Amino acid sequence: MIWFLRGLRRGVVTTRYPAHADPWAEALPTPPSFDPQKLTFELAERLAAACPAGALRRDGPDLVLDLAGCTGCGRCCEVGGEAVAASGSFELATHDRGSLLKRIPIGADRD
Amino acid sequence: MSVAVRRVSESELNQEIAALAANPAARFADLFGAHEQGRVLVRVIYALDQEHRYLMLEAPVTDQGHPAISDAEPAAYVEECELFEQFGVRPSGNRPLNRVLMPPQSENTFPLLDGGRRAAVPRELRAPLHVRGEAFEFPFGPVRVAGWESLYMGLVTTGEEVLDLYLFHWHKHRGIERRLRGLTPERGLFFVERTEGLSAASTAWAYCRAVEAAAGTDVPASATATRAVAAELERIYNHAQAIALLCQTTGLSVGQAQAEIALERCLRLNLAAFGHRYLFGVVCLGGARRAPDSAAITSLLPAAVTELERAAAALLRTNSHVDRLETCGIVDERTAHRLAVVGPVARASSVPIDCRRDHPFAPYDRTVVSVPVGTAGDVLARMEVFVAEIRESKRLILELFTEAEAEVATLTGRDGAGFGWAESPRGETLAFVAVDAEGRIERARLRPASVRNWRAFDDAARARNVFTDVPIIEASFWQTVAGFAR
Repeated sequence: MIWFLRGLRRGVVTTRYPAHADPWAEALPTPPSFDPQKLTFELAERLAAACPAGALRRDGPDLVLDLAGCTGCGRCCEVGGEAVAASGSFELATHDRGSLLKRIPIGADRD
Repeated sequence: MSVAVRRVSESELNQEIAALAANPAARFADLFGAHEQGRVLVRVIYALDQEHRYLMLEAPVTDQGHPAISDAEPAAYVEECELFEQFGVRPSGNRPLNRVLMPPQSENTFPLLDGGRRAAVPRELRAPLHVRGEAFEFPFGPVRVAGWESLYMGLVTTGEEVLDLYLFHWHKHRGIERRLRGLTPERGLFFVERTEGLSAASTAWAYCRAVEAAAGTDVPASATATRAVAAELERIYNHAQAIALLCQTTGLSVGQAQAEIALERCLRLNLAAFGHRYLFGVVCLGGARRAPDSAAITSLLPAAVTELERAAAALLRTNSHVDRLETCGIVDERTAHRLAVVGPVARASSVPIDCRRDHPFAPYDRTVVSVPVGTAGDVLARMEVFVAEIRESKRLILELFTEAEAEVATLTGRDGAGFGWAESPRGETLAFVAVDAEGRIERARLRPASVRNWRAFDDAARARNVFTDVPIIEASFWQTVAGFAR
């Protein structure tokens, strides 16, 4: 009953987002982040081959990550060693499809 | 593994099926096709629960039509339709079929047939639907309220009472069995886990057991304990979700909120124990990728289950809830047998089958699994089975988690065929995998429990039920469209 009266008094029907930091979210599987300086062309090819969802591909001098396809399975982190880690970021909602495509320059093999 | 394989001719298949269908101890489990030397090979699987073994009949069939298995075994009708859609072979006698996986516009393409098309296409006949007199068809779906899967329901009614109901699942078809062809079993596991996301651990377990059987690999005991802990956690959160949905469909918002709080606790427990709220990535070929976090199990499991039991007990004392569940959506024992349903739907209808006990495999062969059974066959009986199973799953987890480790055995053999099973929250899940000499999947068959149980949904929903009972019955069945349509 208290929550009902409190809601009536404040006239608030929803809470702010996020109402507070949620420590549970820290353990969620998330898409990868890459260290461009540790990426090589050969590693980029292996990462693309390891991604079962087809969310990673090499495009010339870049590695392309499609966040719309990534399921956060973590296989790239296993393959990539120090060059890849879970990003910890899962708030990916956007109005722009293009912003879900991330181009990562492959730094180690670049002139 | 207790699976007997028997090769029969096309003409013998009829006699074998007739004998098995007349045997009350034999339960129809699956029917599917495969290629063999340019022909289609039909495999029919029966569960002989009292003998603790499965029987697999194999019969090569011709394009002219295979013996109509559903004549003797009505439960096989769905698989007969599927066999036509995948391979273009149909039962003899020009019996009408329904579209189950592939949409009607895809006719004449058969995705699992080599080449994809048949030169001489068998005539497709669909079961006619005639709605006459005062009755009319009320179309519902495939887009439904947020969070519910795509499913078309054709409700035939005169206004309130449900006279008939038919379902289209194919909006959710993803061609997973087709997608698995040519992949390595390791790669295939990624898709298998996503066949029915709410049964990721148990579907993966059945698939891995099939691949391990094909390779002749024994899984370390500690890894089987890990798999069981994940599968039991999966059962608890699924049943919690079903109870929350029952509250939603009976209009009990506070009960729904309480069940959903308990559900969220269960999902957080999964995350803390295995690193994934829906238990993806736990089961791998040869064992288990990660061990459960013991501290998470001991600190979070009892509280989550207590909260869930408290919510369920309050609901079962609430007349406005119980009144909606009693005598609603009845699946009687005879129908449950006839349609070969599995899991809580069967157990609530006096059919006490559970492959953890009837076809025991590690680690369940080292313990006693209690199988709760209801007799009424209605929604209330199914909810009571959910509650009893939550309690039993908690007991099993606390018994097994201390021996659970992340261990992986190396798969020795490369080619061969194997059959695996596991008890998912919805019931018996089966998998068959054939691997070629190059170590790639030749044929993978996945039969989640939803394939069996949706068959009984229309029976449960029609007659003596009104429109507003249908969502309640659907919640109590707690099947997935993804598992059926895969």
